[in-house]
Amino acid sequence: MTRTLYACIHAAEFPAQTLVRLRPELRAQPVVVLDGIAPEETVCSINAHARRQGADLHLTKFEAEAIAGLHLLRRSIASESTARTVFLECAANFSPRIEDVSFGTACACVLDIAGTESLFGPPDKLAQRIRAAMLSAGFHASIAVSENFHCARLKAAHARGISLVAAGEEAGAMTSLPIQALHLDENATETFALWGIRSLGQLAALPQHDLVARCGQQATAWRELAMGVYAHAFQPIEPVFQLSEFCEFETPIEQIDSLIFVGARMIECLVARASVRALSLASLTAEMTLEGGKVHRCVLHPALPSTDRKFLLKLLQLEIAAHSPQSAVFALALSAEAGQSSQVQLGLFAPQTPEPSRLDVTIARLKNLVGEDRVGSAVLLDTHAPENFRMENFGLDNTTTIPSTAHPRWTLRRVRPPVPLRVTLESSLPVSFRDRDKRYAVKEAFGPWTTSGSWWSMGRWNVEEWDVLAETDLGAPIVCLLVFDRQKKDWRLEAYYD
Amino acid sequence: MTDLSLHISNSRSAGTPVCHPNDEYVSTRAHDTAPPTQSAARPKPSEYVELHATSAFSFLEAASQPDTLIDRAAELDLSAVALTDRNGLYGAARFHSAGKRTGVRAHIGAEIAIRSFGDRLTPPDWLPHQYPKEPPRIVLLCASQAGYQNLCQLLTRMKMREPSKGEGSATLDDLAEFSAGLICLTGGDEGPLASDLARGGDSEARSTLDRLVSIYGRSNLYIELQRHHQRDEEARNQALLNLASSLRLPAIATNGVRYATAKEREILDVFTSIRHHTTLDRAGRLLNSNSMRHLRTEQQMTILFRDIPEAIANTRIVSDRLEFSLENLGYKFPHYLVPEGETMVSFLEKRVEEGVLKRYGVPSKRDLLDRARTQVRRELALIKRLGFEGYFLIVWDIIRYCRQHGILVQGRGSAANSAVCYALEITAVDPVGMELLFERFLSESRGEWPDIDLDLPSGDQREQVIQHIYEKYGSLGAAMTANVISYRGRSAAREVGKVLGFDEDTLARLSGLVGRWEWRGNNDTMARNFEHAGFDVHHAKIACYLDLCLRMQDLPRHLGQHSGGMVICAGMLNRVVPIERASMPGRTVVQWDKEDCADLGIIKIDLLGLGMMAVLQDCLQQLPCHYGDQVDLAAMPEDPLVYDTLCKADTVGMFQVESRAQMASIPHNAPRKFYDLVVQVAIIRPGPIVGRMMHPYMNRRQGKEKITYPHPSLEPVLKRTLGVPLFQEQLLRMAMTVADFSGAEAEELRRAVGMRRSMQRMKDLEGRLRTGMTRNGIVGEAQDNIVQGISSFAMYGFPESHAASFALIAYASAYLKVYYLAAFTCALLNNQPMGFYSPAVLVKDAQRHGLRVRPIDVQRSSGLCSVETEQDGSHSLRIGLNYVKGLRQSSAQALVETRDREGLFESVDDIAERIPELNRKELVALARIGALNSLGEIRHRRDALWQVEEAGRFAGPLLQRKEATPTTALSKSPLRQMTTEERLAADYAGSGLTTGPHPMAWHRSILRKQGILSSEELQGKPNLSRVRIAGCVIARQRPGTAKGFVFLSLEDEAGIANIIITPDVFEQNRVVVTRSKVLLIDGQLQVNDGVIHVKARRISSLEITDADIRSRDFH
Repeated sequence: MTRTLYACIHAAEFPAQTLVRLRPELRAQPVVVLDGIAPEETVCSINAHARRQGADLHLTKFEAEAIAGLHLLRRSIASESTARTVFLECAANFSPRIEDVSFGTACACVLDIAGTESLFGPPDKLAQRIRAAMLSAGFHASIAVSENFHCARLKAAHARGISLVAAGEEAGAMTSLPIQALHLDENATETFALWGIRSLGQLAALPQHDLVARCGQQATAWRELAMGVYAHAFQPIEPVFQLSEFCEFETPIEQIDSLIFVGARMIECLVARASVRALSLASLTAEMTLEGGKVHRCVLHPALPSTDRKFLLKLLQLEIAAHSPQSAVFALALSAEAGQSSQVQLGLFAPQTPEPSRLDVTIARLKNLVGEDRVGSAVLLDTHAPENFRMENFGLDNTTTIPSTAHPRWTLRRVRPPVPLRVTLESSLPVSFRDRDKRYAVKEAFGPWTTSGSWWSMGRWNVEEWDVLAETDLGAPIVCLLVFDRQKKDWRLEAYYD
Repeated sequence: MTDLSLHISNSRSAGTPVCHPNDEYVSTRAHDTAPPTQSAARPKPSEYVELHATSAFSFLEAASQPDTLIDRAAELDLSAVALTDRNGLYGAARFHSAGKRTGVRAHIGAEIAIRSFGDRLTPPDWLPHQYPKEPPRIVLLCASQAGYQNLCQLLTRMKMREPSKGEGSATLDDLAEFSAGLICLTGGDEGPLASDLARGGDSEARSTLDRLVSIYGRSNLYIELQRHHQRDEEARNQALLNLASSLRLPAIATNGVRYATAKEREILDVFTSIRHHTTLDRAGRLLNSNSMRHLRTEQQMTILFRDIPEAIANTRIVSDRLEFSLENLGYKFPHYLVPEGETMVSFLEKRVEEGVLKRYGVPSKRDLLDRARTQVRRELALIKRLGFEGYFLIVWDIIRYCRQHGILVQGRGSAANSAVCYALEITAVDPVGMELLFERFLSESRGEWPDIDLDLPSGDQREQVIQHIYEKYGSLGAAMTANVISYRGRSAAREVGKVLGFDEDTLARLSGLVGRWEWRGNNDTMARNFEHAGFDVHHAKIACYLDLCLRMQDLPRHLGQHSGGMVICAGMLNRVVPIERASMPGRTVVQWDKEDCADLGIIKIDLLGLGMMAVLQDCLQQLPCHYGDQVDLAAMPEDPLVYDTLCKADTVGMFQVESRAQMASIPHNAPRKFYDLVVQVAIIRPGPIVGRMMHPYMNRRQGKEKITYPHPSLEPVLKRTLGVPLFQEQLLRMAMTVADFSGAEAEELRRAVGMRRSMQRMKDLEGRLRTGMTRNGIVGEAQDNIVQGISSFAMYGFPESHAASFALIAYASAYLKVYYLAAFTCALLNNQPMGFYSPAVLVKDAQRHGLRVRPIDVQRSSGLCSVETEQDGSHSLRIGLNYVKGLRQSSAQALVETRDREGLFESVDDIAERIPELNRKELVALARIGALNSLGEIRHRRDALWQVEEAGRFAGPLLQRKEATPTTALSKSPLRQMTTEERLAADYAGSGLTTGPHPMAWHRSILRKQGILSSEELQGKPNLSRVRIAGCVIARQRPGTAKGFVFLSLEDEAGIANIIITPDVFEQNRVVVTRSKVLLIDGQLQVNDGVIHVKARRISSLEITDADIRSRDFH
């Protein structure tokens, strides 16, 4: 039978370690990391110096600030993600077989190190090399080596430094670990507390049959874990499936056509890789590294995931045409998000709709012309606020219809951007106004129609609207909507009634 | 643009738009076809009356108190306002009182939900919104008393139709049945016309109007117009005007007021979010679109409706038609049915005569008989003159019912001044023997009903009496008074936090820290509490949160029911005030609280649940069985041993004298007779302490101060209280003695001084007082002193009769504790929660007094705690299964019944098998506290825990047969025995108390080595010496009268030590003091006439036990 051997690397308080890692000057300082949305941030991770200063997890920001000398840092999930990659990459230098066993705010992995002796020496040497490598990468980690996967995992999580558990010594090595190491459910935790079972050693000493009779079959697993004999099917981390292609040019490219030519090949490859997995491309991101180091980025979102390379290439072409890079391109990276190929079942008698890919191309063209946020369906929001809509991509389900009415309707034609006005008032009533070109005399004004709200937030508004019938000096009438923003104290022409 | 098109097309033929001078303005068109009005005259500028205003008593649908609306109306020079809360008259009484105070006419009405009209207006379906479906509401205003009675009946009908407490809605039949005397307005956007116009246009609105016309008549229906600067509303107004014109109905202007001032719109938005269980960010269109629903001036409204002047004129016309006010409520107290040939007076006289003979006919009181007869004659004459004989007979009838059903009852309050009440056995204090002053109870000039409060055992027996009254007077003839639940610090912080989107953890942290102390220092602001909860109050969002919390204070949140106030009525109570269902099954509640009822002259009888009455009743019931004794509360002997115990402040568990302050003062007072106890009960109150009466009395009592009187003539009045006026009755007598006031005048003086409301009335009375004194030769400084004395102590004085009633119960509790400790402690434990101390402390106190307290045992314990007789004939206390946390009452009952029926249990398996109701968790709960230790094979608690884990698991069908059950239960448990500390922690966690040694006892030897004294050892130490003491915190107090001082009670195995913490020391140790279970105090000993305190200098937490020791705080 093949001998197994595992090494677990455990970095506790990973959010704090992540942030300190890139700021060496803080390594000897008390540091706490705050998580949550202001003003409700709480401490989610601390280093040893901070703990010695009296800091603890779950303190509020206000309470943490009251402790002198603490460095308060904000949690960065992106940094943690990067650091985790570095952590795993560092571990991968010692074994290709890695299982991620991170829990809570700790980052941990177990390496299958069977057969690595000839490369890295005996387990103790290997553990030292791993620890040193981790330290040089900026992580304080504890290492445990055992023939049992879980023994290594639990030992590393609850012991400092390096722990080497010899074969057959697992139970002894685990005996003093607290029972909380097993992360049991609330009921089991309470039962063991009542029984006075506080360590894995005490748990292991319980007779198995009696234990199972009381706690069910899961107790067998707990007991085996406590004795360091619980078997584990290793689940190595799969390489992340990333749809990306990268091409560095020997000479900078200035012609878009040349760029598209290369891009076409890259899209073809991406589509082929996705197709093998029965996937489509849901989005496509092009990153162009420019002269001077700048990166020019554009993102395409087809209405439906697609594997139509011509269509995708057309979208890319339009996008690059609309947002062309400012200088020559050194490198082009294309990355895609995979999506399920989707087919929409249309009704037999439903009116013909445009083909999604053609519509996408048309919309892309429109966006080229008028701007990203001006194309799509307007979707009303549940608010009294003046700009109470948002734009949404056209979709098949945005089919809410406003019932027709017998009354004649006026059409409100919004002016974007609104036209700033100078308004003359008499007894708070607008009597005339002037835009950049003309002066208008108000014949009749109706209002103010007032709305105000969001008084509890920065987004508060308070406006009054006037429906105005006015005439230019030449006698041309207009019917328009004037708005007075009471907060900014400014007037604007918001819309015309047609 | 439907709305606009209508508006503009009309405007083209209209006149010039008009503008409001204060920038809050709407332009309108002139109305070319004016709807008919009842007044041809153009309105004068001052003719507007707001006829549709809702208060915060529209629970979460409006934001101002009724009196705030009235005050604002007075500021705006409005002559009248109508309160029209949603489906109720909840705020009407306060609105009426405020109206009387300010001179603003308070019209009464309500918005009534009508299901028959479909759903109220909501935004169209194509607009995103979250409006729930609700019925539309019309406004009904009371024109006459008949109208008011109809409105009350209508509200009662719709509320009582609901199966449980709920909003309810009326039908058209209801409206038709109760239509007389009411004027109907069609409502604003919540009204039926708004939804009709949106749903079916003019024709549907016309149909609704036709139905309303058929119910209220053309002269009592007004089409309501509101203008809040909204286009769609204006479009509706045009449609309504057209309807009014074509149907020849009058239009009327209102502002649909939801708050007094524009700023309060923010509170309404918060309320709206609370009501719809959402946050402000997510509420969307549910919120107001602007801040226009506030009270407006007549000028503003006149300009706003300049194009429809008749709509303004009609408000004055309707207001003039609203003749009804709550002055004219039409309430009558019911008559008592007497036998044929009797009148209520003759019947009462006979019952009183019987009572006098019973009370005073005994040899010990025979000398008082003549005086008692004279007194009752005087009282009866007054009762007859005032027509209160029915009231006394009805209360007597309730007392008789209680006696017949073995329910302990005693009257309290000023009723104890009445010899008639004593004779009728309503009260137990002899007013003749104690020379109590009748006028404090009843006087001719007061013009109000007497107030009799009855103390009953809390729990089922009180409920029995309440249900008897319902039965006797009918479900529409009697009801409980309401209790208005208002927003306070905690609730405001929690609910505002929710609507601002704070998470649950944050809210829990905050509500845990918002102070509940009675005393609040400068640092105890809500801002400070926010800081302690970890909030930065300078952050804009937090500042907004804090501001909203402060503004929400005292606004009504919902209606509860008062703990005992009951009103009854001759005829139908539902014609006097609307009645609705309470949340408690079988209970109904009127829409006013007890102050509102009192203000409007509705008589209430307080049926108060008093925990100590239940204790006394339970205790007395046990005496014959266990002790062979019977004790009559009305005839308890004056016992020296009881007074000795009281003098030692050994009063844990005793009624009224067990608090920390009482314990500190009672040795100084050293009561040796009943009246001393009356004084003791009365003197430790905020009143006497703030009025600085306590120390003069105590000093005189101890002979440290000379007894003097403000004037020699007052010696008879103040002699009993050593020259210090303590009781309200003494104030009355002082005025009667020095200024020849009549009893009624003296009572009027007391009330005038006490209430400090009418300065003019106060001046008149003081003038009469001084004139009287001058006439009697009391002038100059003596006169000033007396006037000053009366003024200061009238605010705080305590009724002597009330003190006497309480003292009687206090003495009874002391007597029973001294002589029947087991039964008394048993009764105390069975009636928790009550009193000042937790069950754990009560048990330890009883043990220190020599009582054996037996632990919970499945073989012995009953459902409740019980008294057991030991082999030596002594009594011990067995803790009942009611103290097992997590054991359901039904399971406990099944256990006891099975055991009593089938015999003792043999094993854990036996229990599990015989009582299938017991689940695994309950078996664990019993095992952890040692309740299974007496079963045969169990050696210790963990043995039991090991076995119940198996026995408590349900076997599958295959293994359910008994013979198939494996017998592993007898296998030896591998678990080690619990340590002492583990047992202690399990005791407190599983039952809240321990019958074993006190937690501190286990650590005494170590504590002693550290120089830490026990509470007993403090007694040998000299005054002002430095001491160290440690103990479990059992009570924390920060009384309102103590200027920020905190008082702690620390308990150890020897007793209770009293700790004083100065405000400075408290501020430095706030977290330790408020959160620690065991404290170590370094401080200075203060010994004063045997009363020992430790003034803390250093405070630290002592981590010696994990036991969950609970403190009772903030009393």
